[in-house]
Amino acid sequence: MAVKTGDVLDSVAAIAKGLSVTLRELLSPTVTEDYPDAPPKFQERYRGLHVLRRDEQGMEKCVACFLCAAACPSHCIYIEAAENTAENRISGGERYAKVYNIDYNRCIFCGYCVEACPTDAITHGHGFELASYNTAALVYRKEQLLEPPKALTQAAD
Amino acid sequence: MADRVKLQIDGKTVEAPAGALLINVARQAGIDIPAFCYYDGLALQAACRMCLVEVEKAPKLLAACTLPVTDGMVVRTETAQVREARKAMLEFLLTNHPLDCPVCDKGGECELQDAVFRYGAGESRFTEEKLHVPEAQWSPVVYYDAPRCILCYRCVRICDEGLGVRALGVVNRGATTEIAPNRGDHLECDECGMCIDICPVGALTSGIYRYKTRPWEMKHVGTICTHCGDGCKTTLGVYGGQIIRGNNRDRSGINDEFLCIKGRYAFDFVHHPDRLRTPLVRRNGQLVETSWAEALDLVARKFSEVKARGRKFGVIGSNRTTNEENYVLQTFVRQGLGTNNLDHHRTGDVVSLVAALAGRQGALAASADLYQRKAALIVAADLAQQHPLLAFLLRANWRHHQARVYVVTPGPVREDSYAVRSVRAPSGEELAAVESLRDALAAEPELVILFGDSVKGERVRRLVEFGDSLGISVQYVCLLDYSNSRGAADMGVLPDLLPGYAPVEASGAPPGLTLPEMLDAPDLDVLWVIGANPLARRALTSKEAFVVVQDLFLTETAARADVILPAASAYEKTGTVTNTCGEVQRLRKAVEIPGTKSDLEIFGLLARRMGLPFGPWRPEEVWEEIRANVSGYNVPSALLAAGGAFPTFPASGLHSVRPKPELIRSAGDTLFTSGTLGRYCKTLSSVREAPGTLYRS
Ligand code: SF4
Ligand code: SF4
Ligand code: SF4
Ligand code: SF4
Ligand code: SF4
Ligand code: FES
Repeated sequence: MAVKTGDVLDSVAAIAKGLSVTLRELLSPTVTEDYPDAPPKFQERYRGLHVLRRDEQGMEKCVACFLCAAACPSHCIYIEAAENTAENRISGGERYAKVYNIDYNRCIFCGYCVEACPTDAITHGHGFELASYNTAALVYRKEQLLEPPKALTQAAD
Repeated sequence: MADRVKLQIDGKTVEAPAGALLINVARQAGIDIPAFCYYDGLALQAACRMCLVEVEKAPKLLAACTLPVTDGMVVRTETAQVREARKAMLEFLLTNHPLDCPVCDKGGECELQDAVFRYGAGESRFTEEKLHVPEAQWSPVVYYDAPRCILCYRCVRICDEGLGVRALGVVNRGATTEIAPNRGDHLECDECGMCIDICPVGALTSGIYRYKTRPWEMKHVGTICTHCGDGCKTTLGVYGGQIIRGNNRDRSGINDEFLCIKGRYAFDFVHHPDRLRTPLVRRNGQLVETSWAEALDLVARKFSEVKARGRKFGVIGSNRTTNEENYVLQTFVRQGLGTNNLDHHRTGDVVSLVAALAGRQGALAASADLYQRKAALIVAADLAQQHPLLAFLLRANWRHHQARVYVVTPGPVREDSYAVRSVRAPSGEELAAVESLRDALAAEPELVILFGDSVKGERVRRLVEFGDSLGISVQYVCLLDYSNSRGAADMGVLPDLLPGYAPVEASGAPPGLTLPEMLDAPDLDVLWVIGANPLARRALTSKEAFVVVQDLFLTETAARADVILPAASAYEKTGTVTNTCGEVQRLRKAVEIPGTKSDLEIFGLLARRMGLPFGPWRPEEVWEEIRANVSGYNVPSALLAAGGAFPTFPASGLHSVRPKPELIRSAGDTLFTSGTLGRYCKTLSSVREAPGTLYRS
């Protein structure tokens, strides 16, 4: 059976069209991230691993009001409250969180807790490397969630 | 027409008794009018102006909390003008109010929070610095945060009017007005916490619950206070398996919002570090920990052996265990061990009262009668200390209905301050003084007589004869010390009486030994003590006796034991208890203490090991048995389960009792003591008024 010239031309046109897309993409900037070789980029409001914040004095902002726990649809925040004393001052308010756990087996990163917090203590960070073979390791304690104390800025200067 | 009026509230036609307060009439019609200073049952204050409503033909808004309804009144509670007024009042209240809700212990159940949420402005117009006053601790129980106070004076009124303590007052003027305690920088009072729970905001907070959690995080379990015999309902707040708060904010139960320090704060014995959590047995003179199986085997073996040899048992029951446990205990002892040597510490002579009344219906007063009857006579009791609820109800009766109260006591009591007559009579000689009141009492339309432990034996019969001779309706309350003292007697934890006060002779057996007789018997083989501490006051004569103790703590009695079985307290089990007025109420289980078992469960395990033909028992089944078998206990189970309190009337055929006045002795607990259990309540001993003395007012 003889090959029709029209068919050949059609094929060549199709290949050229396809290659042109390939060539164009080859020359445009790449969007694929090189994770894990390079750190991923995030939208500013990405909801990742929570961070418990400190105030300007370095005190914990969380006053253990339990509102995040109340707002949480998956009941994964566990708090034990205690009273600040003159010798042992942890937070800016009268109360502080002696225990603050988030169970990442259950957290759905909805951000309701952040929304509920009256002192902006709980926020979403950009951490996302949460996989683990051990579910127990997914219950994060306050010490893991708390932002490290900043070097205090001198108010005077 | 004269005593009922018709009015319109928000277009709804409502009928009400003339003179009723508009705020109450509206609330009954399902229309809520916000209020801070108004509190049912307390004097009118009209301080907060939150309850302003529009009344037709009135030139300006009127306070619903002080406005008696009249015929044809037309009221509007939700107009733009009313809403504007509420908003303005709230803004005014918030001028110096801190933005503390996230840390405030009232947050979540705060009346100010609720009101601002519903009627307040979204934003504050104030930029000025707020007045700041540091928080003050007035006692281990009471803290005051002045900036949060909205000056509704509820606390001042409940302490003064409700309790007659008058520990709180008002100081300063204008923006610096504050509530102040009676001793300058601290309180000396009943430490009841009424002011704290009645405070609509978080100005008064409790040292016990301080910053522990938030109201919505707790499980709320309504049960009956385990301390005195009055039977208040207390709602225990449980968080993380711990009881962290007690109150009665839903105002259910016979006590409305009332609780004394014991019902509100003395639950801490439950988690006391000295709580027994493992059975102990004596080996080579030492108490050592063992397993439940081993301890129970040992007890069952010993019981079976002593029973087989026909030797002497002595069994002492409790003033705090449930009716179900008491009923099963007497079955166990009488049928399982084959003895009537069963008794408990009798704190008042209810047996003589039941005998003297001979089943006369309605002759026992219910707690509500203390609030309703026109006159009352208190004989031989410091009511405000020994029976805080009954004292509160009687005082409310005097405040609201001008009840006439007579007092015959050995020393001064708080009731003197409003009694029509107070007579001092030495303990044991009260009846002569009662006789001297005859003419005054006979002139009353009706009377409730409350009598303490020194009216016992023959004197009870004489008191009832005196009551009968007055020619008016007389009701009686035999005052008993603890939460189920009455139930212990009703359930036959007595050597001579079966449940429902039936004489044991009916069953063909002679009466058994009384409590002191057991302790004094030189040939006692087994002493079995359930939730009691008899060896605190009296030595055990028989050196050979094998002693088994079921208790919460290592008491003096437990220290002498050969086997100690760690028991669950009233807050850790279900069942029923009967208060000193004879009202039966249901316990609900708040927490579980690992390692302990309820006495009912222990009885079942022992019965099985001994091969006895009964048990195990479930409280619900035993309760049905009690209803069927115990005279006066046929009360509706469903309503009881729903949290009601029902009076029981033991319709006994008891005509002759062997009065044993020497057995009757109240422990004389004050507001701050509660027998052996009270020693393990840190809150009770932490207040400076503790332990207190009776008759000191
Ligand atoms: S992000 Fe959502 S699910 Fe996760 S802790 Fe916060 S409220 Fe709970
Ligand atoms: S009293 Fe009420 S409104 Fe005031 S801080 Fe406390 S919770 Fe908030
Ligand atoms: S605790 Fe009770 S007695 Fe003391 S101030 Fe408050 S209401 Fe009065
Ligand atoms: S302390 Fe509470 S109850 Fe007392 S006046 Fe202030 S707001 Fe009212
Ligand atoms: S009055 Fe009696 S029953 Fe009521 S709370 Fe006090 S101790 Fe408990
Ligand atoms: S409730 Fe009427 S003025 Fe306060």
